[in-house]
Order: sequence, then C-alpha cells, then structure tokens
Amino acid sequence: MMNRSILLVGAFLAGPFFSNAQAEAPKAAAKAEKIAWHGTWKGGLTEAQRTGKPIMLVSAVPQCHSVPGVW
Amino acid sequence: MDRSFLANKDVVAASRKFVCIRLATYEDAAENEVLKGIFTMRSELQNTVFGILTPDGKTHIVRSGRSPAWAFGGQAGRGIHEQPLESMKKMGQTMEAIALAYPGKGKAAKGPLPLPYLADLRLALNVTAADRQPLVAVFAPDAAQRKAMERELSVVAWSEQFIGQAQYVSASDAKEFKAVKGLKVKTGFIVIQPGVFGLEGSVIQEISANAKAGELKKQLANALGQHKPNTLSYYEHRAAGVRAGKRWESKTPSTDNSSPRERIGRQRR
Repeated sequence: MMNRSILLVGAFLAGPFFSNAQAEAPKAAAKAEKIAWHGTWKGGLTEAQRTGKPIMLVSAVPQCHSVPGVW
Repeated sequence: MDRSFLANKDVVAASRKFVCIRLATYEDAAENEVLKGIFTMRSELQNTVFGILTPDGKTHIVRSGRSPAWAFGGQAGRGIHEQPLESMKKMGQTMEAIALAYPGKGKAAKGPLPLPYLADLRLALNVTAADRQPLVAVFAPDAAQRKAMERELSVVAWSEQFIGQAQYVSASDAKEFKAVKGLKVKTGFIVIQPGVFGLEGSVIQEISANAKAGELKKQLANALGQHKPNTLSYYEHRAAGVRAGKRWESKTPSTDNSSPRERIGRQRR
C-alpha cells in the first residue's frame, strides 16, 4: 500500500524556520496537554482525507504481560 | 507504548495540526493489515508501530518503526519511556515543518467534524484505563439520534477546554454496557469511570441525549472533574494485575516474537 518513503524532514531542518513556525503556533495549541486520538483507522483516515492534514499513527497493545489497563 | 515523545509539550502542540490515530494492535484484522503496510520486522506485525503519513495514508513522511525513536533518535527498544530532550524537540520541530508542507484545507474542509471514536466499549474501557482518562459513550438505539448527539458533542470535544481530555465511543444497545455499573437511562451521553484494569467501569454521570453543546460543556466539565485516575505506577499496576488474575485476550494472535511471552516460550523450546 505504501509508496517509497519520502524523507521530507531534512529539507525542513533549518533552525530559524522552526523558530518562526513555533512562534506563530496558535495559543490554543500551546496550552494543549494531551494528544486527541482517533481510535480507528477508518475514522482517522476519513478525517485526514476530509481535512487534508497529515497523519500521525501510533499502535500499541493495551496490556503488559496480559494485564490490561496499561500501555 | 511510548510515554515520553507523545507526552512532550511541543509534540502535543504540533499534534493539533495532524490527524492523530492510535490503534490497539491485534484488535482488528483489517487494521493489522494496515499496520503491516507501515512497519514489520521479519514480515511480522510488531506490538508497537509508529509512522507519519500523508493525508491519504499512503506515503511515509518520516522513517516508520516501532516508536518515534526510529525516526527522531533516542533510545529504541521495549519499555523505553525516557528519551533525550533533543530527540523530543526534533520530533516537535519536524511535525511543525510537516504541518507547513501539508497545511490542510482549513475552512474549505467539507462535512461535519467527527468524534474521535474508539471501536467499541470493550476496547474503550481498556484504552481509557491505560490512558487514565474518562470515557464518554454516545448512547442511543436510533442511528439518527446518535448522529444528532455526535454533532453536539463534537463541538465540545474539540474545543480548547476539552480536547484530549476524554475519549469517546458509540453505543446502540444497553447490552454493550454489561461491564459498566450504574446505567439507568435508555439514551444519553454516559460518562464512565474505567476500572483500574479496564475490564469494567462505572457510570460517573448520565447527561440527557437532548443536551445542546452549551449545556453539554457545563455537564461534561462537572463529570470529567469526578474522574479518578489510577495512581499505581507501571510496575505496581502490572504486579497488582497478575496477583488479581486480570487478563486481556486480544482478538487476533500476537505476532511479535520479541514480546516477553514469546521469548520465554523460545527459551523453553
């Protein structure tokens, strides 16, 4: 499904560029404390396609040694 | 799951410019296939997966791996939850840069803002217990009524006050609440305290299904304020769960051969 990785990151690693970007970040985002997660691939992908925003994807098992309630 | 990068304030701030998707590995066969398209080791799905993708979900923007450390440096490996500040800073900065390259459609985005639902109540109880957060169920047998309720709640859920402070699940049948104590209503926004191990829960507050966004905001603030997060450390939690015989069975088998259980099995073999 995936195309070749596009490593855009290097092109963006210019210091002043980031300083400005962060300075202009909305106050609301700066106050934020926790990531708001979509809990399904279908729901999240639909939202990414609707908004045109990039996707940060994480997956993990909500158990440790089969004990639930912990990541 | 990483508890370092993803709790960093710069990363959280940058996450608002992304659609953030967190799946529970091995809980859905179709999602397993998506994850395998993003990262595998020896062609097998691992317990944890991390990636940053284009809005169509098809192209990797950074190196995918088991955790953000694969893309941004730091310590890669199981149970690593303390990362160098520079790696976390790099992740936040990189995300800001990616957000500039993919600024999204802004107000031109069509359609309603969706609630960020978890798949079902069983999984939602476990996930919210793991996140130490309250769960809000949008409960109504009628699909049209649930849609109307979602419209009101999504405005509140994505507001500055509430974003990231609770998680959400849709329910259409009272039977779905069999592990939740205290359900009295036949429709409503049900705010739930997950149990320590996420195998059960109890109702904190039931809010009328007819509540509009303004009223919801008030009631939800009150309900979320009553949530009592688990205070056990990671190791205390695991030890208490083993002692109490609390177990989670994923819906599909684990294929991560580096997991402790698999390693022990190999040693025994």
